[in-house]
Amino acid sequence: MDQQLELLLEIQDLRMQRRGLTDGTLTDLEAEVFDIKIEDAIRSLDEKVEELAQRLTRGIRERYRRIADKAPRVVAPVINGICYGCFVAVSTARASEADRNLRVESCEYCGCFLYHVG
Amino acid sequence: MQLREFFVPSAIKLDLAAETKDEALKELVSCMGLDGKSEGILYKMLKRRENLGSTGIGRGIAIPHCRSLVVTRLRVAFGRKLSGLDFKAIDEKPVRYVFLIVAPPLEVSNQYLPVLGRIAQFGKEADVPDLLAEISSPEQFIELLDAKDL
Ligand SMILES: [Zn+2]
Repeated sequence: MDQQLELLLEIQDLRMQRRGLTDGTLTDLEAEVFDIKIEDAIRSLDEKVEELAQRLTRGIRERYRRIADKAPRVVAPVINGICYGCFVAVSTARASEADRNLRVESCEYCGCFLYHVG
Repeated sequence: MQLREFFVPSAIKLDLAAETKDEALKELVSCMGLDGKSEGILYKMLKRRENLGSTGIGRGIAIPHCRSLVVTRLRVAFGRKLSGLDFKAIDEKPVRYVFLIVAPPLEVSNQYLPVLGRIAQFGKEADVPDLLAEISSPEQFIELLDAKDL
């Protein structure tokens, strides 16, 4: 897997974790069952995301920032040829390439970085 | 929804080889049938969650959990280590029972939160640690979930 894509995946997963703490879905459970200090956790996640973003190459980092400023999802999974960022089929030629995930690709419709799953 | 629907025998390990928390996470991640790269990413995410605060909720039970793009559906695993693992749990006691839960970022049926909640509820029942110590097969583990109507 492309190392930059791997960084983007980690960033995306951490952003999802942060979202679960801020949108109320996981907040109570994390605070009550797991005794997490929510504000500290959010700060820590933000720091980690930024640390990872600094390791992106300049061009990818700029693209990342443009997407991240607008939407919670920066990397969309591609499952069975469908981009789950916009639910549009990415072209078969691209989806079936043997080198899936070996370079950073973006969806031509929604702009998300693409990660082929499964 | 019943918890038993999510557990498969191949992801119920009643005798973990792991001697440490990290090894236990790796061993349970390896039950998920992912490729090596995805396993590595998932392990890293679980570690990052642990860094925010231990998922050891006390009484020998830990529930490591995260969402990750590397899985396409909710998956769970159970691991038991009767000699105990240092998990930096809330009550500082060794962890003997580990429930691992991973979910994709998007789920059609939104099962992550209810599954996590139910496992936490299960873990808080007074007799559960002793019952988990006694089971001797994955089937008995499933029967225990049934008996608790979870
Ligand atoms: Zn798209």
